[in-house]
Amino acid sequence: MTRAGPKDSSSTETISHTELKLSGVWRVVVLNDPVNLMSYVMMVFKKIFGFSETVARRHMLEVHEQGRSVVWSGLREKAEAYVYTLQQWHLTAVVESDETH
Amino acid sequence: MKRIEVKLSLPVVAPLLDVIRQLADGLGQKLAAPQDLGDIDQEFRDAWVGDLLEGQNKDVKALLALFDDEFFAEGIVAFDEENAEPIVRACAAVRLRLREVYLKGLDDDALEGGEVELEQMSEAVRKAFMCYLFLATVQELIIQHLDSSIIES
Repeated sequence: MTRAGPKDSSSTETISHTELKLSGVWRVVVLNDPVNLMSYVMMVFKKIFGFSETVARRHMLEVHEQGRSVVWSGLREKAEAYVYTLQQWHLTAVVESDETH
Repeated sequence: MKRIEVKLSLPVVAPLLDVIRQLADGLGQKLAAPQDLGDIDQEFRDAWVGDLLEGQNKDVKALLALFDDEFFAEGIVAFDEENAEPIVRACAAVRLRLREVYLKGLDDDALEGGEVELEQMSEAVRKAFMCYLFLATVQELIIQHLDSSIIES
């Protein structure tokens, strides 16, 4: 992976902040269901988001114990793409506006 | 290519296939997990659901293809890097339908913990519960042996 220099990084950051300000921040939330196996949910998180075993387990347990877990946040279009992919794996997932931004 | 073969007990599994096939038929027109698509417009919603249904149907076909002539002759099913992903997803879809159609009388904790009284179930519910456990076992087998190929694909 190539790391961008200071100038590029600052410019990317400005664009990214402007984009987020215009469209808001959106969260991908996975909701609990009593059917899907814990190991399955962890595998799906690792595949879709590239989570490590530890992070995947933390989110899975959050879903299991608290009923929901925010697994990603950012631009709406990308959030919707993640929700679509999670739904392909039969997890219950929704996009929510993040009011804190 | 990594491949695992599993020998199943024909007398145990064969009777479950009717239930799996019946539910698989129902999945042709309906998503296994109903989704709240929020405020997206109707055209986008239709395309979204249509694409999910198409993928779901392909996955279910891959699951049903496991139970071919070799299975009925030898009791053997094979998982490899090509069919693992669709089959593990199809198992999730059919299990969700089993829950909705046959197992809705069981509370969530009992279902999650597997603590159910088989003797108190009707024949249809017992058979559905056996399917539910069988498909979970298939998922566990795939995740245990082929999860790295799924995650990296």
